[in-house]
Amino acid sequence: MSSIKEYLTQDHSRCDGYFATMEENASKSLSDAKESYEEFAKATERHFQMEERVMFVEFETKTGMTEGPTAMMRHEHAQMRSLIKQMGEALEADNKDKFFGLSETLMILMQQHNMKEEQMLYTMAQQHLSAEAPRVVDMMESMIVE
Amino acid sequence: MQFNGLSLEQAPPISAPLRFYLSAPLFAILAGILMLLSDVSALQSRYSIDSIVITHTITIGFMSFVMLGSLTQMLPVLAGVKMYRVDLVTKISHIAMVLGTLFMIVGLKFEVALLNAFAMLLLGSGFLAMIVVIFMAIKKVKNFTPTVTGMSLSLVFALFSVLMGIFLLFSYIDPDASIYRNIVANTHSVWAIFGFAGILIVGVTFQVLPMFYVAPKFKDFYQKRVVLFISISLILWMITSLFFQSYAVAAKLWIVLFFASFAIVFLLKIKNRKRKVSDITLLYYKTSSIFLALGSLFWIGDEFYLSQHIVVTSIFIGGFILSIMIGMLYKIVPFLIWFHLNAMGYMNIPTMNEMIDKKLALIQFILFVGSLLGFIFSYYLEAYLSLFSMAFIISMVILQYNIITAVLIYKRVKKTKPDFDMSAFA
Repeated sequence: MSSIKEYLTQDHSRCDGYFATMEENASKSLSDAKESYEEFAKATERHFQMEERVMFVEFETKTGMTEGPTAMMRHEHAQMRSLIKQMGEALEADNKDKFFGLSETLMILMQQHNMKEEQMLYTMAQQHLSAEAPRVVDMMESMIVE
Repeated sequence: MQFNGLSLEQAPPISAPLRFYLSAPLFAILAGILMLLSDVSALQSRYSIDSIVITHTITIGFMSFVMLGSLTQMLPVLAGVKMYRVDLVTKISHIAMVLGTLFMIVGLKFEVALLNAFAMLLLGSGFLAMIVVIFMAIKKVKNFTPTVTGMSLSLVFALFSVLMGIFLLFSYIDPDASIYRNIVANTHSVWAIFGFAGILIVGVTFQVLPMFYVAPKFKDFYQKRVVLFISISLILWMITSLFFQSYAVAAKLWIVLFFASFAIVFLLKIKNRKRKVSDITLLYYKTSSIFLALGSLFWIGDEFYLSQHIVVTSIFIGGFILSIMIGMLYKIVPFLIWFHLNAMGYMNIPTMNEMIDKKLALIQFILFVGSLLGFIFSYYLEAYLSLFSMAFIISMVILQYNIITAVLIYKRVKKTKPDFDMSAFA
């Protein structure tokens, strides 16, 4: 059974892969990119929810830290959701410049965010939740996206 | 605490890196002007005052400024720690270093001992204040990644290079010290370039390249060891070149091997990236690794000619460092502006691509690379130096313009009212 850290870190690279495919399709034509955009958006939303509805909640319950790192991560999720939504709008409007401007911004924001999670928050989560790790991973795995 | 870097308000104020980024191209422009004003034959020797002055206008005024500015931003994100009083320290160090560099340029060029003394004081305190504060921050790091190791080792070399630099400036004030000048200058230059700049670039690339271009990660062994090997080879090189000169070439070969291998691995990673988009930064990254590979080979090949062509090596290696830095600036400046505006609650911010004019960035790139190749050309055909100096100056003026345009967008948006009140998150 993989640890919380491994599981979520792998999911980051899965989302990165979807991102790369989406961008590659978009560079050919925006109308071809709609499907891969949906895939990327769906995978990312699932990742956010696995954290927000499962892992963060467990972490907060265990440590009592509700205003700490998880609050900031939730805030960054909101920033990224907004960028992803705007990218969808740029796709609809067939505005390539706008789309790539937003995707570039999202990419850097996302990577900075992932790095903070992977290097700090996940490590902390793994320490605090080591006993419950298999259960937490199971819950994330079986979660249904709202 | 371990998660200091997690919160937005822990990010340094945008002015901390920007003040360094905004003054860097100005020094490069100044270096170009100095090239125009210098006697061409003097520039063919690395020991002439004109060469030393121009080199330091670039290495301190551009390279060190960009590195120190970037460290203020990278420490919270890559290492999860915050610098002590980052706003105040960067403000004071920046002013001290700007004045120190200017005093040094004038002091050395016109042999004004008093200005050299001021330069020693200002550059010494400016550099040391930054280095000490960054070390204090690194001491708090809990999770030592290869990138953090790279940063720390790079700073050790920075510290020694600065101390040697202070001594070298002193040798222009007190003639008694000048007998040691060339020996110290040798180690000073190699440690500053390959130790301070080289190791920092290698360490940061481990993390940044896979991140931003979804490129394959560097092998664990490579990440963990290469920076250490480079450091050992730099120390060995110093010891051999001081005491066992005939063995120095072996240590040099070792340094060259690691950097050349890094250049090749870097290019391969770029080639195998998942993110296929190409942008100005990537163009600069590719150029940078080619310059590094050529520079390393040239440096070792020049052994056969008793380092007669060291100036050409310097142009290649300088091209490697400048290229990677300019490429990074084109990405980091627009992002920081977006990031800070977004954190203040602005929603309608121009995207990163709208902040920097792509065509202008490309023209800047072509002029820059052209001027560097031109400098090598002019090393053998002096008459062309002023032409390529002009190209270099224009490329740096455009770089300055590109950065200022982005900063002006920041100022303009900041004058309007935010879309959301973000105080709830503070």
